[in-house]
Amino acid sequence: MSDVPSSSTQVVDYRRRQRLARIAQRLIIFGGSILLAVYVIAPVTWLVSSSVQTEAEIVSVPPHWIPEEPTLRNFKAIFSATEEETVTYETRSGQDPAAGGFIPSTASSLLPAMANSLTVATLVVILNLLVAVPAAYSLAKIRTWGRNATVYFILITRVIPDIALVVPFFLVIRKLGMLDTIGSLVLTYLAVTVPFSVFILLQYFEGLPDELDKAARVDGCSRFQALIRVFLPLSLPSLVAVVLFTFLTSWNEFLLALMFTQTEASQTLPILLAAFTSDFTISFSFINAAGVLAIIPPVIVAIIFERYIVSGLTAGAVKG
Amino acid sequence: MAGIRFESVGKKYSNGFHAVKDLNLDIRDKEFLVLLGPSGCGKSTTLNMIAGLEEVSDGRLLFDDQMVNYMPPHRRDVAMVFQSYALYPHKTVFDNIAFGLQMRKVPREETARRVQDAADKLEISHLLDRRPSQLSGGQRQRVALGRAMVRNPAVFLMDEPLSNLDAALRISMRAEIKDLHHAMQTTFVYVTHDQAEALTLADRIVVMKDGVVQQIGTPDDIYERPQNTFVASFLGNPPINYIDGAVEVSDGETVSFVRGDLKLKFAGETARKLASSNGREIRLGIRAEDVDETRSSGEDSLIRGKVNSVLPVGSDQFLGFDFCGEELFFRVGKDLDHALGENVALSVDLSRLHVFDKASGASLIW
Repeated sequence: MSDVPSSSTQVVDYRRRQRLARIAQRLIIFGGSILLAVYVIAPVTWLVSSSVQTEAEIVSVPPHWIPEEPTLRNFKAIFSATEEETVTYETRSGQDPAAGGFIPSTASSLLPAMANSLTVATLVVILNLLVAVPAAYSLAKIRTWGRNATVYFILITRVIPDIALVVPFFLVIRKLGMLDTIGSLVLTYLAVTVPFSVFILLQYFEGLPDELDKAARVDGCSRFQALIRVFLPLSLPSLVAVVLFTFLTSWNEFLLALMFTQTEASQTLPILLAAFTSDFTISFSFINAAGVLAIIPPVIVAIIFERYIVSGLTAGAVKG
Repeated sequence: MAGIRFESVGKKYSNGFHAVKDLNLDIRDKEFLVLLGPSGCGKSTTLNMIAGLEEVSDGRLLFDDQMVNYMPPHRRDVAMVFQSYALYPHKTVFDNIAFGLQMRKVPREETARRVQDAADKLEISHLLDRRPSQLSGGQRQRVALGRAMVRNPAVFLMDEPLSNLDAALRISMRAEIKDLHHAMQTTFVYVTHDQAEALTLADRIVVMKDGVVQQIGTPDDIYERPQNTFVASFLGNPPINYIDGAVEVSDGETVSFVRGDLKLKFAGETARKLASSNGREIRLGIRAEDVDETRSSGEDSLIRGKVNSVLPVGSDQFLGFDFCGEELFFRVGKDLDHALGENVALSVDLSRLHVFDKASGASLIW
């Protein structure tokens, strides 16, 4: 019993060290989180902040994170842009670029481009689901000859870089007479995204037990009903993943859109935003205002589906 | 409805695996038929073919007199209980049970009434609002039974429904399934690899191996009159003992099994059937429980050996028994006291010997 005091001090000592280690661990995690948050949030903050600054304020040193003279001029210009207000070669000398008193010549195309982007992205999402869901279900649950070969083939199409496909795609689209149409974008984006969507869903469907499929069919479901009534409700997380992936891919896509579109009829937002930098004069504040508009739809989509991602994940965890 | 008939049915998978070969089987209306066999013997495939979940590759499958080879599962009037229960995780217990009725457009009130009835019978009425993830294994099993019951199907299919339950629950559920069969008065086809389940539940048992039917018969037939060594070994605990030897016919009427010093005299029908087989190489089967130490019907029924192991199992004990270098297992009364290594003589019940052809394994007496 004589060693009790020493052992109890050892215990106290050990506990104190443990507590210190835990605090240190938390501090490290906290510090890391802050760094990561700054890294992610800072560019967006600057985008939003500079969109309501004048051109002169944007280029001031040090930069103003909080605008001193906030203005909605850029946004107003986007929503009420008319041919009269835009800058042309002849009129630009009358304005002072440093004061930001000008608007790019293509400003009036911004809202149509946004509509194009939305239309393309929405169509791609819907068609993706219509094609990929039945494809993934049948690959996962119907035993057929050549099933594995099919899956590998689909995967291989995913490995080919887009740049390698641009020329063949262009030739096909031209032959189809679809150049400078929204259809050309929908078609090619589907070719790029469907394989990956099938792959995501296939993984998930394969994880759902075969017996669930059998039970549904014995209970009176056709294959299609089994898919709709049993598999889809259980696959929400993967469906959400597919929606987010396809929406963002088509919203952000640049290369193919650059090749196939020429006019306001089909130009998407990324193309137009990039074009602002090649105008006579670059207005950073205007580009940033347009950038803010460009990130709003993806943010809305993410907010809508965020709760499904969370609830979907927990629903998947308690597989009966 | 519904008798089920298999006419030369075969099932071949796309990878070339021949799961079921030339199956001819008549399942009678209201019968409780058990498909018994080791895993991979084709019993589940057979069940899935009845359900319509697997296509029939060869032959014809008939419900009463209608061929159903190409009828999809939702058109067949069958219900099925799965080993993993396969409850829909996103639905409540009520919706799980009601799903089959909803799919068949049964009116809402009728559905509610039938679900409630089934739940009352299975004593799960208090669970109707829960989700499968909140239930215990036994409760999930009941929900799965309920889901099949409410449909009042013509054929009730069960694929190893009890193998995920613990031992005690399994035995009580066995009794419930038997009651269910009585109450429902419908055809049951039940797949299992558990001989005890098969023997307790079945009106008839079909023993399968490698996609081929080995024997079809009542539990009594299968246990008492196995037609080959596979069937004989698959049932019985501990398994039947085999001793290879030869038939010896002396004085034209005494028929015996001979192996070295061991000589067992066949009785009655067995002796008559083997009377003309003098010198034939045979495999003798002795069920573990068909020996006795106290009975002494003379030298011609004794088997001698050395005790290798003693395994008490509560009601009685298993005796590991070394006979000419072969290990035999017998079930004897628990009051018998043997030391390891002790030489003992056990008296064999001569009227219950099984005789098989040594090469083919086919029974020579049944």
